[in-house]
Order: sequence, then C-alpha cells, then structure tokens
Amino acid sequence: MLRRHPWIIPASFLALPLLVYFTFVILPTMNSLYYSFTDWSGYGADFNFVGAANFEKIFSDRLFSNAIKNTAIWLALAMTAPTLLGLALALALQGKRKVNTIYKSLFYLPICLSPVIIGIIWVWLYSPKLGIVNLFLRSIGLEDLAIAWLARPNTALIAVFVAWSWQQTGLNMVIFLAGLTSVPAPLVEAAKVDGANYWQTLVKVIIPMLRPATVVVLALTAINALKSFEVIWVMTKGGPFNNSDTLAVFMYSEAFRKLKLGYGSSAAVILFLMTLVIIVLYFRQVAKSDELYE
Amino acid sequence: MLKKRLLVAILAVLVAGLAVTPALTQDDLMGDFTASHYFGGFGGEYIEEIVDDFVAQHEGLNREASPVDHEQFKESILVQLAGNNPPDTFSYWAGGLIQAIVDGERLQPIGDIWEANDLGSQFPQGIIDSALTYNGEIYAVPLTLHWVGMFYNTALFAEHGVMPPTTWDELVAAAETFKMAGIPAFALGSLNRWPGQFWFDMLLLRTAGNAYRQELMNGKASYTDDEVVRAYSMWNDLAQAGYFYPDANAYDWDEAANQVANGEAAMTLMGTWIGGHYESLGLVAGEDFDYFSFPTVDEDIPRASLGPIDTFVVSAAAANPDAAKAFLVHLTDPEIQLKFALGAGNLAPSTAVDPGSYNTVVTRILGEIAADPDFAFNFDLATLPAVAQIGLNSFQEFMANPGDYEGILERVQEAAAAEFAAAM
Repeated sequence: MLRRHPWIIPASFLALPLLVYFTFVILPTMNSLYYSFTDWSGYGADFNFVGAANFEKIFSDRLFSNAIKNTAIWLALAMTAPTLLGLALALALQGKRKVNTIYKSLFYLPICLSPVIIGIIWVWLYSPKLGIVNLFLRSIGLEDLAIAWLARPNTALIAVFVAWSWQQTGLNMVIFLAGLTSVPAPLVEAAKVDGANYWQTLVKVIIPMLRPATVVVLALTAINALKSFEVIWVMTKGGPFNNSDTLAVFMYSEAFRKLKLGYGSSAAVILFLMTLVIIVLYFRQVAKSDELYE
Repeated sequence: MLKKRLLVAILAVLVAGLAVTPALTQDDLMGDFTASHYFGGFGGEYIEEIVDDFVAQHEGLNREASPVDHEQFKESILVQLAGNNPPDTFSYWAGGLIQAIVDGERLQPIGDIWEANDLGSQFPQGIIDSALTYNGEIYAVPLTLHWVGMFYNTALFAEHGVMPPTTWDELVAAAETFKMAGIPAFALGSLNRWPGQFWFDMLLLRTAGNAYRQELMNGKASYTDDEVVRAYSMWNDLAQAGYFYPDANAYDWDEAANQVANGEAAMTLMGTWIGGHYESLGLVAGEDFDYFSFPTVDEDIPRASLGPIDTFVVSAAAANPDAAKAFLVHLTDPEIQLKFALGAGNLAPSTAVDPGSYNTVVTRILGEIAADPDFAFNFDLATLPAVAQIGLNSFQEFMANPGDYEGILERVQEAAAAEFAAAM
C-alpha cells in the first residue's frame, strides 16, 4: 500500500503540524477577517454583518491616520537605527577575544527579556525625577533636557522607540555576527593586499557579502516593528493622547477600550496585509539570493 | 444618578444606625468557583480574604484564583466575556460599563437572591435604582461607594494660612497663595487618564449642573456648548496660571497623592480611596490630611456629589452561578462592607453599617453626600464606553495643551457625535 501511495508517510508526518497551524494561525486570522465585516462589540452576544463599512470608515478616521503616521515613523526608524547599530556592534565584537564574548552577551541580554519587562525597565529609566536618563542629563548640566519623556506628546513615541530598539539591536547584532562568519577571510585579506583601507574593505567587500544577513535583519525588523505592541502598551498605552499610537495599539484600543471589536478587527486586517507585503518581498529576496548562490 | 432617595436613605442611616444582618444562603455549594476583581492594595488583599473565607465556608467549593492588575482588568474581563469563559463573579463599576455588558447579554439578573434575602432593605433606594438596576432588573450587589473631593496637606494649609475654600474665588486665592510660596496648588496624576476626568466632572457639575451633564453624557448636548466651554475655560485659567504640578501626564494618581503628602503640592482632586492610600503611608485622617468639597461656583446650580460605586456581578456564562450568587449575598454582610470601606478609606453602601464606625474625615464626607441633592457617576462611567475613551484622551491632551481647549472640544464633539450616531 505504501508503495502504491508513497505520499501517506510524509502526509501523516505533516498532518499534526498542519492541524496545529490551521487551528492557531489560519483559523484566528480568518476569524479576524470575518469580524472585520461586523459591528461586534467584542463582548455582546449579538452582532450585525456590516459589509465593508468598517473599512470605509477607518480611512477617514483621524486616529487611524495618526496611527498610520506613527507606524510609518516607527518603521522608518526601525529600519535604520537598530540595523546600523546592530551592524556596528557586530563589526566591533566579531572575533574570539574573551572581552568580545562578554560584550556580546550583554548586548544580547535584552532579547532574553519579555517586552513587558523591557517596558517596565525603561519606564523607570525615564522617570521624570529619579530616572537614570534625567539624572544623567542633570549631572552634565543639561537640566532643560531632563523632561518627562513619556508624557510629552513630541517625545513619547521616540522615547518608546529607544526602548524597543534596545531589544531589536541585540537581535540584529547576532544575525550580523552570524553573517560575518560567512565572509571569506581570503577575500578581506586580498582587499587589504590590494591597498584597501578598513572603510573601503567594509563598503566594497564586507557589506556586499552581508547581503543575505541584511535581508533577514531588515525583514525581521520590519515585521517586528509593525507588530510591536507590548513595549508601547506597557510604557504609554499609546499616549499621551494617542501620540504613541501605532497600528497595533490603535487596533487594541478600538477593540478592547472602545469596545468595538469589529472595527478593531478591520485595523488588524490592514496590519496583516501590510505585514504580508513585507513577508512576500522578503521571500522573493531570499529566493533571489538562493538563485545567486546556486 | 442617585437623587433624593440616596439622601433620605443615608440620613436615615445617620440617625438610626440600623443593624440588619443579611441572610446567607446555607445551600451546599459544589464545584470550582472563580471570582475576579480589580482591587489593589488593601482592597485587593481583603477581597482575596473574603473570597477565601467564603470558599472555606462551603466544603464542596474549590477556588480558582485569577488575580489581575487593576488597569489590565478593564480589558481582560472583556476578553473573557467575549470568549464565553468569564469568572463566575467579578467586580465591576456601576453605570455605563455594566449597562454595556448587560446590553451585551453577558450578565445574569440576580432578582431571585435579591428577593430571597430581602437585600432591597439593606441598600439606599438611590443606589439600587442608579447603580444596580439595568433594563428594569437587578444585576449587581454594591461593595463600596467612593466620593470625589479635594484632599489636602493640612500642614501646608496651616503654614500658609489657607482655609479650605468654599467658593471658586477662594480656591483661586488659595492657589495663588501657594504659587507665591513656590508650591504648585494642585497635583494631578493623569498618566492613566482617568484622574483628569474629576476636574472636568466637577467644573461642569458646579457650573452647568447635573441635569445638563446628563444630557451631555447621553449625547443630547454638545461638547462645544457654552456650558462645556465655560468649564474648560475655568480649568484653563488654573492651568495657564501655573497652579498645577508640571507634567501631570507623567504621574499616576498615587504619585500625585504622594506629591501632596510630601508637601510638593498642596491638594489633589481625588476619590476617597486616597484616604486608604494615605493611611497605608502612616498618615492620620483629619491630622495629616483632610478634604474639602469642590467649591461652589454658581449659587444657583444645585450641588452634586461625584464618584464611582464598585459592585460585584454574576456572569451570564458562569459555570457555577449558584456559588456566584451566594457570594454576592455574602458580600452584603455589614461587617464585610464596613471592613472593606475602612481599609480602603471609602464608604459602605449597606445601610446596616453604623455611620459612627468611620474616621472623622469619612464621617464628614457622609454628611457631604447627604447634603448634596444629587450624586453623579464620574465621566467614564456615565457615558458610552467609546465616548469615554475619547474624553479621557482629551483630558490628557488638555493637560498638555490647555490653551487649545476649544480645538480639543471641537475634536471631541466630532468623534463623540459619530459614536453616539453609531450606537443609535
């Protein structure tokens, strides 16, 4: 029978993970999509099918536009700051010196922490009076900069982003470190022999060779940035007055604070589609890289 | 709105000090029992003790603990209700929030235990009507009643020769005195948004009255009306004059309370639970801290007290509704109501509680409630939940940009009108 139906063995191995994937990923996604076409409050027993009304409304919603703007700022910062910092750290800490191992562990440490813990730590750091950030600023005479970072509308988003980057940078560093091990040493040596200085070697040899790692870093950073929620919620809950609302926070606020789960689900669907675009671009890039190296 | 009936009932208690012991159900209760609540500090510890005692009294019951942080509770309970796996019973704020989940068919009425235990005789009719009755049926049992007033540092007031203000002019003069001394008059911790609502509520109640405020809460008046603009304008005058402790949005309510306790600010507009907080710090009511009622602004406007009422309700999908209902009856025990009230600095809704049991501050507050012809729920419990969120954000925005209050009100009105229209 197995000879006549060789697909039975792989299918039986695949069945359980597929079932789990369908139950915990596909089904909830379809559920959200379904609710996005309803006016369900999120707690009531009844709801109505409202067609595309939620989607029509959301694009004229001032708070949704605000969340899109903040998400765009967040995404743009995320694609640059933690990426460049992660690369810089990886370059500085590559090699097997003992001190490098210690520093790598320290920079990697935030990844081991829950985003909620990260948020709480940074709320302490930003505390207006006793936080280390303001104590430091005051100690170097920058009294005017010692402000309530999380309470000011023009600094809250950036302040939360710094906390989020603390974690993301460590992850990027690890990926770049792994990428650096695949840069052939003879190639770097050859560049040096040809008279290239460190900067030229970096730009002309190392960074091009890091392209696969960079694709992974950018894709993961973009996905993490779009779905970032916990750190923001713990630190500001999107405040003050929506100034650190991202799409994920907007979605949660509409669904569970305003008790409009149907409407919040429409934001979730839009967020899902945005993430999907990045994932598709990522896989296309990975496929291209595979072709290149084959 | 707790009207005259609350006044009559509380006066009756003050005079008579009735002692009615509720009849506890003696049925054998079986199975798992889940009770969830949002109380922290003393209230959290004591409610846990109450639940444990209740379970210990019924051998067949097995308690499943489900502690939740106060702020997180507001969202997590809705997730549980939506998932049809709620706790058997949970604490909830009377007013718009209970109304919303009653309309969503997520609670079950408790008329059977209400009648069987004659609970109607143990609570003021005003509370029964406004806080426990929804769509014509009783859904909740009250555990504690809060009152919002101005709590102040007595030493600072004495040091600067300031008497508790009774009029708006006196309040402004007191604030100016403290400002001249380099002390912010008002501490406000609006990090979690809700403390800001008390300023809006009080100013509107004192300048436009409770009847107009009810219209506004129900979407029948506009946030751009002269009444609302006037209230905000007065609030703006205080903010622009520099009477508030800087960066209100950076601090939570207890941090603002501590600013007053530490002498960094003179007073804070807060609920009676601040008394429990101060007493937990070792401060003595009437000596280290005291209160005054938010001053009268317009003599022609009838005064109203303001505050939330905490209740316990029974989930429609409760796995053990018998235990949940028996627990609600258990909560009506005057001893439990009094101990909870004393520990948290609040008032017990039960008329069987002896008014002489409270400290001097709370006893005087009982008199304030009795003297005010109206009692109103605070903003986020008095209006649609979606509108409440819009308003709460606007209070934060106001504290950051007080001068833009007219723009803020226009945006609030636009968003609130859309929510009221959608809810019709």
